[in-house]
Amino acid sequence: MRLGDLFRMSISSLFKRKVRTILTILGVVIGTISIVVMVSLGIGLKSAMLDEMSTFADLTKVQVQQNSFWGDSSSDKDKEEKRLDDALVEELSHLEHVEQVCPTVQTSALLKFGKYICYMDLTGMTNEEIARKNFELSRGTLPNSRDELQILMGNMVLAQFYSEKDYSMPYYEKGEALDVDLMQDSVYLILDQDAYYGYATNPDGSTIHAKKYPLNCVGMMAGGLDEFKNEYSWQAICNIDALKSALQKVYKGRVIPGQPVDKKGKPYKEFFYNNINVYVDDMNNVSEVQTVIQNMGYQCYAEGEWIQSSLRELNLIEVVLGGIGAVSLIVAAIGIANTMMMSIYERTKEIGVMKVLGCRIRDIQMMFLLEAGLIGFFGGVVGLGISYGASKLINTLVAGSDMGYSYISVIPFWLTLAGLVFSTLIGMMAGFFPSRRAMKLSPLAAIRNE
Amino acid sequence: MAESVIVAKNLYKIYDLGETKVRALNGVDLDVPQGCLCAIFGTSGSGKSTLLNMLAGLEKPTKGNVTIAKGRIDQMNESQLAVFRQKHIGFIFQSYNLMQNMTALENVALPLTFQGVPKEERKIRAAKMLKMVGLGKHMEHRPGQLSGGQQQRVGIARALVVKPEIIFADEPTGNLDSATTLEVMAMMQKLTREKGQTIVMVTHDNSIASYADMIVKLIDGKIVSTEYRAVPVQAQTVIDSETADSEGKI
Ligand SMILES: Nc1ncnc2c1ncn2[C@@H]1O[C@H](COP(=O)(O)OP(=O)(O)OP(=O)(O)O)[C@@H](O)[C@H]1O
Ligand SMILES: [Mg+2]
Repeated sequence: MRLGDLFRMSISSLFKRKVRTILTILGVVIGTISIVVMVSLGIGLKSAMLDEMSTFADLTKVQVQQNSFWGDSSSDKDKEEKRLDDALVEELSHLEHVEQVCPTVQTSALLKFGKYICYMDLTGMTNEEIARKNFELSRGTLPNSRDELQILMGNMVLAQFYSEKDYSMPYYEKGEALDVDLMQDSVYLILDQDAYYGYATNPDGSTIHAKKYPLNCVGMMAGGLDEFKNEYSWQAICNIDALKSALQKVYKGRVIPGQPVDKKGKPYKEFFYNNINVYVDDMNNVSEVQTVIQNMGYQCYAEGEWIQSSLRELNLIEVVLGGIGAVSLIVAAIGIANTMMMSIYERTKEIGVMKVLGCRIRDIQMMFLLEAGLIGFFGGVVGLGISYGASKLINTLVAGSDMGYSYISVIPFWLTLAGLVFSTLIGMMAGFFPSRRAMKLSPLAAIRNE
Repeated sequence: MAESVIVAKNLYKIYDLGETKVRALNGVDLDVPQGCLCAIFGTSGSGKSTLLNMLAGLEKPTKGNVTIAKGRIDQMNESQLAVFRQKHIGFIFQSYNLMQNMTALENVALPLTFQGVPKEERKIRAAKMLKMVGLGKHMEHRPGQLSGGQQQRVGIARALVVKPEIIFADEPTGNLDSATTLEVMAMMQKLTREKGQTIVMVTHDNSIASYADMIVKLIDGKIVSTEYRAVPVQAQTVIDSETADSEGKI
């Protein structure tokens, strides 16, 4: 028989028993919805969580940290001292899976505007790293000069200003931020806080006066004053080389805060980094790179690490959810098998007649397999349609609620395809034994008159 | 005498019902020449249907062999039989057995569908057959909208559409009144005369058997007599071939 004729006959016998066909399809529809929606929730939760995390953390970053410098002089004396220097930057950049190696220098700084001051962390980064952070700016540009200390200001910094006289904080007490334009007004930047408070002395005992630099703020990060967008929201960013030379100039001959000292408490000649951020090509290679660096004797930390382990948990949840969905599809499959058996009992005579008229037994089996497969397929199509609607609805509800996610259900294309193939296959599998039965029916059934 | 198209040798069919054994066929030898209208005649329970089913390959004999159109059908398996039936055999049922959800035309075309004939060709051939049995005006009718005689003619058209060498019919007129019985018998006579097709039919009615060229009489699973008629009774009806071809009105 021709395939087209097989399809036509299968469809017409499905049409002949409309109500039963629709009810059986309904079973598959429900099965498909439950499996697709369940898996979509698994996928969605995972991806929503990843999205959420990646706004706070860079999941491909391994942060190499300076060993705590009070420990190395006493307890770990025999241990080779591990310092974060340019040689290490070079070495790390040759590791497998490593895309970019970016050293950073951190210091804290003071901003002064009239009687108001504000503490903030100042991080010096390479221009490459600044670029890859994709900072959203409300004004200005990114800092890029290696000589001049250009500052990119976090969106929450302005809220931290307080009066040196009465310690009042305009933003938190009055609800309005200090009326200052950090990019235009004459604000000063002070790096040497000890000197500012008069604690710092020269080797000869004379007091050092803190140098005030006019703040050169070239850009402002976008966001409200209390909108925590990432770890840099309440910090300032600048170029690492510019910061390095500024620090070296300010602390000439003294220990720069954060820099290690030798046994006599003297600073080293070389400038060391506080952190080295190693960017890995893929999230999944993070732990491998981390292990390599740890084996080199450095402390390192990956923000993606605990996310990885919670992702593994979510994978399990996805499987469990899919399993629950699969159960209802199996119930639907039993429904299909039942419908097909009934149909074959009813059509014993018809099948017999077809055999007597020369219908090949393979074609008879094919007809019933197709019927069952079509039930599965139509159920799958309708079920997927409804699943899309349900997924939209769930996401709308979630976005409207205060769960903190904007979506939790995602139906990727592969899931659509898999849902369709799976429901059709389940249908055909359910139809397999009934179809064998139809195949084996005796053509004599047609002759006997009951 | 014409060549034999059906040869059965030493046929036995024994139904084992546990404590009793029913000998439905008890050693039958049969030889039907080509172009012959053969009637298997006997009382109820004499084994007529059993013999016919065996000849048509619907049932396997307990013993003996059956050769049809040079094919040893007792040795064929189910799928070989299906192919063999497609090519060589037409079947007419007592209770018509038309597909209720198909039109007359679709019913007649059904065996062609099984053969994989394209749709357009199927339509043309089925329509031709329906016209031949005088149902040119009823092609789009469903079985429920046709009389018993008309339904049986659709059944005959369906058996003929594949141009089979042999047609089997189990009590083809069993559900029909005497006038329609005559029409059907006339049609069968015409088929053997004009097309050279061989027909084997089962009947328990002596008057129907008398239209045949060859009457095989069965009693208790045994052939008791085989009668050849050089000039069988002609089934005279209101219609003849001409009127049947031109959109038969009956
Ligand atoms: N499947 C079966 N199982 C057991 N016995 C059977 C079976 N089929 C037929 N028989 C027996 O075989 C014998 C012949 O039956 P068959 O149907 O051939 O009779 P028949 O001549 O066609 O009768 P009728 O004119 O009533 O149709 C009967 O005694 C019947 O009981
Ligand atoms: Mg019978």
